[in-house]
Amino acid sequence: MIESFLFGALPYVALFVCIFGSIYRIRTQPISYSSLSSQFLESQGLMWGSLPWHIGILLILLGHFIALLLPGLWHSLMLHSLVLASVEASGLGLSILCVIGLIVLAVRRISSAKIQSVTTPMDLVVLFLLLGQVTLGMVTATMHKWGALWCSATTTPYVWSILTFRPDISFVQDLPIAMRMHIIGAWLLILLIPFSRLIHMFAVPIQYLFRPPQIVEWTSERKEEAAGEIFESEETRRHFMHATIGIGSGLALLSIGIMDKLLRFFLGPRLSQKEESELMEFKLKQLERTAHQKSLELERQENPYILIGTLEELNPTTGKYFIDYKMTPAMAFKGDDGLPNLLSAKCTHLGCTVANQVNSDGKVVCPCHLSYFNIKTGQPDQDAPAKAPLPHLGWVLMDTKGNVLASRTAQGEFTGSIDPTKLQGARVYIAKKLSEGTT
Amino acid sequence: MKAGTAFGALSNFVKERFPVDKMNFHYMVEKKEVPVHSMSWGYYTGGLTLFFFIIQVITGLLLLFYYQPTVSDAYASVEFISKYVSGGALIRNLHTWSSSCMIFFAMVHLITAFAMKSFEKPRELTWIMGVLLLLITFTFGFTGYLLPWNQIAVNASKVGLQSIEAAGQYLPGALSKLPHTVIEIFQGEATVGQSTLGRFYAMHVVLLPLALIALLGAHLLQVQIHGMSQGVDVPAKKTEKFFPVFFFKDITLWTSVFLILFIVASIIPFDAFLPFPLLEPYNALGSTPAGIKPEWYFYFVYYPLEMLPFWVILLGSLIVMGVLIFTPWIFKGTSRKTLKLIAGAATAYLVIMTLFGDKILHIVKPGA
Repeated sequence: MIESFLFGALPYVALFVCIFGSIYRIRTQPISYSSLSSQFLESQGLMWGSLPWHIGILLILLGHFIALLLPGLWHSLMLHSLVLASVEASGLGLSILCVIGLIVLAVRRISSAKIQSVTTPMDLVVLFLLLGQVTLGMVTATMHKWGALWCSATTTPYVWSILTFRPDISFVQDLPIAMRMHIIGAWLLILLIPFSRLIHMFAVPIQYLFRPPQIVEWTSERKEEAAGEIFESEETRRHFMHATIGIGSGLALLSIGIMDKLLRFFLGPRLSQKEESELMEFKLKQLERTAHQKSLELERQENPYILIGTLEELNPTTGKYFIDYKMTPAMAFKGDDGLPNLLSAKCTHLGCTVANQVNSDGKVVCPCHLSYFNIKTGQPDQDAPAKAPLPHLGWVLMDTKGNVLASRTAQGEFTGSIDPTKLQGARVYIAKKLSEGTT
Repeated sequence: MKAGTAFGALSNFVKERFPVDKMNFHYMVEKKEVPVHSMSWGYYTGGLTLFFFIIQVITGLLLLFYYQPTVSDAYASVEFISKYVSGGALIRNLHTWSSSCMIFFAMVHLITAFAMKSFEKPRELTWIMGVLLLLITFTFGFTGYLLPWNQIAVNASKVGLQSIEAAGQYLPGALSKLPHTVIEIFQGEATVGQSTLGRFYAMHVVLLPLALIALLGAHLLQVQIHGMSQGVDVPAKKTEKFFPVFFFKDITLWTSVFLILFIVASIIPFDAFLPFPLLEPYNALGSTPAGIKPEWYFYFVYYPLEMLPFWVILLGSLIVMGVLIFTPWIFKGTSRKTLKLIAGAATAYLVIMTLFGDKILHIVKPGA
């Protein structure tokens, strides 16, 4: 009951109040539609608090929004462990930045008398709510790792169910307590937007980034002169020193890093014994494969007959792959007459290798552009990308002693006789003289 | 006499395109200015392409230290680079990501140059060299794709080469064998094998780079002599010095782009978007796995090739090639507004085919 209120009803209350409350406040009190600045009263602490906080929270919120708005893309990216680790690490780093900023801001609000005079209770509520929210986020990120990945099946569909008016709290019911509190905190913060300084997020002066530069003119001449002089004498020198040290040490670090990597690159890796043997094994396998292919080639150069297999081995629905005299793949089936049916497996469209499984229509398919071929005739389907039929291959049937029992040419001319008693153990060959002349 | 005038016209043509008196530091560096207007961003696209090419050269040279172009070792050597060599995965990843970026920006550069009418006299040769550079870049992509020698690499190269063969049926008599001969020259044997790998390797690391660098030199020389084209109808009132102002802007952009490229290449493996069976070592004796496709930058011709009869594509590509080569003369009198429209339409076509070609194919041919 309480859960369906917190996860099912609170969101709508929060969103409703946030949208209409903000509009109401912006229309009726346009002057308050920002956050009350205290920079005038104290600027040093503000800089060290406000900057880290805003940098951190903006990037973190950006991450939350991307995960929410592009769930498919987000999920497919997070499936790569490196991306996932980078995102989680940056998230954690940024939230540390947030916490530091918030603590500085909190100390400032509490310790400075000047600031206290302009602090409302709501400011403090928001400040500590935010601190709690970021802490909960960090707890989730450290105790229940890889949230960037599991959010795709939990919080993202949950928020979408809210936004599409089909609230489904089952997505988040079983989440760890820290995560559930994080969600409730988020709705509370949204709820508070129109009543607090948080409303300034709708007044971000984005146009500042694109407006032409402005020159600040001091109201009194004396100040202006003084400012100019200070800039010339002190600021320039200090800026120059800072920049030189910064760029210099940056470049030094960079070149150490690059040199280190480059040196190791040229030095080559130092493999462990296990890695070395794995690599050797793999290379050997590849070499064997190449050697096997070369030996097949040589065999076809030299021999008038090439063994495909025994007649019993052949199957009407699963083709046996072999390499024909032209070194292209072919497959052997057992025909309805119990005799071999040999067919080229090189697709007549673009030369991919046709699959060897026969479907219920008696056809095999080329995986590249889905041409279906009838294995009896070799003909492709009418609308298939391939136009020409898969050519048949001639075969020779020999008994175990090497006597020719029967043969069939590619054109289907049959010679010899079939004596069922002699077929026991008979072997199927392709013959060089039969393959010449076929196209 | 007639021959004399023809020769005179030719020598004038060359003199205007390669004015020797302007080939000095003053003209080519000190005096060069870049107009500032709403299309100024177009001036960065060529530089970016060059930048990605530089990355390709550096990373490519590094990869050369470990890559072995033989059918038995190619796959293992690429694996070795990604798995064991210090920074190897990063360098290989930079090379693949940057290759896509280079092709992307070369295309953007061509389209913006077209829309800005940058091919006007005396820049005709610059344009033609640019078109040839783009073709070389595509060939780079095609030849480089084969080198890892995995299932998708070899099978896509097979399909790509084989599709040339279909052109034979439209050629008369003995010429109909020509496409087949062309394929055999590239393949070096009856099917894609060791000879093909050797030839593609030679093209990818020697021939194409030499050709590209030579053409690029002439292309850049022309750009420096003639300066940036005006780019808009009303000449821009404001200009900025090429050196140092624009040059430093270029460098700034390159630095930021490199940062992005570096981050992307460190965390997202380029081939992570392909299912694993396609990345297995090539097996000549097994069947072809499903899902063989060329790289994304060939989609704009690959998907139409799947949907339309071959002669449409053949005719279309010949026309497009002809138009691209003769653009400076065909569009001599066309207004920039019309050029922008054409460029917009071409962009729309490229974007739609690249992003949604797959879906369009499913609609047109539900079985495929």
